[in-house]
Amino acid sequence: MASVDEQETQTQLASAASSEVIIEFDKVNKWYGDFHVLKDIDLVVHKGERIVVCGPSGSGKSTLIRCVNRLEEHQQGTIIVDDMTLDKNLKNIDHIRSEVGMVFQSFNLFPHLTIIENLTLGPIWVRKIPKVEALEAAMLYLERVKIPEQANKYPGQLSGGQQQRVAIARSLCMNPKIMLFDEPTSALDPEMIKEVLDVMVELAATGMTMIVVSHEMGFAKTVADRVMFMDEGEIVEQNEPHEFFNHPQHDRTKLFLSQILHQ
Amino acid sequence: MAVLRAERTPARSAPLSETSVLGWLRKNLFSSWINIILTIVSIYIIYITVTGLWVWGVTDAVWVAKDRRDCFDISIDGACWAGVIVWLDNFFYGRYPRAELWRVNLGGLLLFLWMAPLWLPRVKDKIFIGLTTVFLYPFLAGYFFAGGDKGLFMQVMISLAIVALIGQTLHAIIGVSSGRGLPEYLIRLLGKEEASEARQRHTLLAILAGALVVAFVGQMGWSFVGVSWTKWGGMFLTLVISGIGIASALPLGIILALGRRSKLPVIRVLSTAFIELFRSVPLITVLFMATTMFPLFMPEGFVLNKLVQVIIAVCLFSGCYMAETVRAGLQAIPHGQYEAAHTVGLGYWGTMGLVVMPQALKHMIPNIVGSFIGLLKDTTLVSIIGLFDVLGMLRAVSQDIPWRGLHKEPLIFGAVLFFVICFAMSKYSRHLEVKLSAGDNR
Ligand SMILES: Nc1ncnc2c1ncn2[C@@H]1O[C@H](COP(=O)(O)OP(=O)(O)OP(=O)(O)O)[C@@H](O)[C@H]1O
Ligand SMILES: [Mg+2]
Repeated sequence: MASVDEQETQTQLASAASSEVIIEFDKVNKWYGDFHVLKDIDLVVHKGERIVVCGPSGSGKSTLIRCVNRLEEHQQGTIIVDDMTLDKNLKNIDHIRSEVGMVFQSFNLFPHLTIIENLTLGPIWVRKIPKVEALEAAMLYLERVKIPEQANKYPGQLSGGQQQRVAIARSLCMNPKIMLFDEPTSALDPEMIKEVLDVMVELAATGMTMIVVSHEMGFAKTVADRVMFMDEGEIVEQNEPHEFFNHPQHDRTKLFLSQILHQ
Repeated sequence: MAVLRAERTPARSAPLSETSVLGWLRKNLFSSWINIILTIVSIYIIYITVTGLWVWGVTDAVWVAKDRRDCFDISIDGACWAGVIVWLDNFFYGRYPRAELWRVNLGGLLLFLWMAPLWLPRVKDKIFIGLTTVFLYPFLAGYFFAGGDKGLFMQVMISLAIVALIGQTLHAIIGVSSGRGLPEYLIRLLGKEEASEARQRHTLLAILAGALVVAFVGQMGWSFVGVSWTKWGGMFLTLVISGIGIASALPLGIILALGRRSKLPVIRVLSTAFIELFRSVPLITVLFMATTMFPLFMPEGFVLNKLVQVIIAVCLFSGCYMAETVRAGLQAIPHGQYEAAHTVGLGYWGTMGLVVMPQALKHMIPNIVGSFIGLLKDTTLVSIIGLFDVLGMLRAVSQDIPWRGLHKEPLIFGAVLFFVICFAMSKYSRHLEVKLSAGDNR
């Protein structure tokens, strides 16, 4: 991993954040049985904002972002996504989910479908877009992630990096307003990490609202408007990347940063 | 210090003990004294049985005779295959009128025609073809078998079936020759490629409606003599019962398995109770219940024929077993697949139908075929409650006056028949498994 100083020279992407709020967490608490995973989470994300979340294993990062598209339910507090309150009365979970794209650590492509079918499944069956149009759009996104030639292969025939780029394209095909990434590069071999990060940087440049759980500090420095550190279910510290890396306030943050930078 | 090899090492042939027959024999059959003795004893036993069977079943056997006494006169200790040969039609068709046998054959042949597109590589929409096989073919075949008056409902179903058969056969032919589908082809034929999607759909619906009307009018002038179900029998009846059982097992099994995994307690408890009830009772008990208890629950004057009762019982029974197979298949699908499906916005049915089930079914093929083989064999139990299926017919030979007491030969014939069918099925399932996993490079 590159040291912080080296990253200094990297140009940072201009912020695309607007004043419009798209995600709001207010005193959110969540338990797994007796285990308190999320503790009084307050979080406001503006449209176009890019947030990188880091923190030790088990600190609740995945749980936090999975609450955004309601793959997990919280028990206390309010979560508002795109003006919809996520609670028990929510009629249209599928609608929220189709507005929020998500990329997983383990890709989770559909192994029985070809790449292009993976991409068009949502548009055709959820958005009810005519097949021809869905195929055209899917090809455009495959070009954007630079693997149009793989369209008719099956996921198992692709490398990990290619699969993850397909997973990103699959989410983009739904025209989401928000993209969530849960450690998108940590299951990849080092030489494939860059190709995925490049795609994510390009996506960031289009003004997409993104929440990325990642320990790729170089990526955080180029792309993030805000870096957030979580530990034991709390947001311990958040700041713009330069300050966050160079002048961490909290001892827990300092410890964590020193650990990941000296691996 | 580097050590390099100057030349490539040529491949040498394996030692003789690995490749030659003699080497194999020595290694596997004659490696020690005990092994030698076992080998010799086994060979002797095999020799005696095989030659005994051969002499009884082939060299000394009687192939043509007019009755059992005649058989004895010709050869006292050979098999009397003459009886089996005389009864052969009964084994396959029961007492179905001989003049109408072609209907049974044609109905069976139709199934092959119906399902042939499923085996052709370039044909699309195979799921649709599978659905028509389960939901439309039985009506057409049923009418071939039963004949008689068609009610309005039967007329509609038969028309639908005819249109489906012709349509999908054309679809398959077009698919194999050009890789397209029938709808696309029709649109091009009519020169409507430029029209909007809605217009195209209307055109296709109009063609479909027209075809249905033609089929309906066509089938009105066509009818068969009725053949009562009491005349059905033999392998034909066995295949009808187990065929319907097999076809309904999968849909029923899927519904029950999903019910068992449902989040709604009522549905979950009911499905679980239903599955466990049927799985904890032997088929023969279910059959007795169906034929003796079922009528008690029915309203006065409502008489279901025995065959229908048996078929319902077999369907429920096989559905419950299939439910457990499906459940096991569902458990093999990782949770990430559900989550990924949810994140592209698919709801419960979309997730199940488009993502989970297709993958689970692939895992389940060996078990599904296994339960089909089981069902085919179990169906012979219906002979106990008085239906003359193939086993019933095989045993009826010994009651026939000319062949009184002829037990062995028909039953051996039946055993061979079942072996051939079941062995072919299990070989085919093995082949299917290999083929499907080859396409799945996970
Ligand atoms: N379904 C569950 N049931 C019970 N406990 C869970 C469940 N999912 C997660 N946990 C626990 O909640 C805690 C937070 O999990 P989470 O996956 O959010 O951590 P994370 O910060 O993403 O960690 P990692 O970096 O390892 O992915 C962990 O201690 C985990 O063991
Ligand atoms: Mg995680």
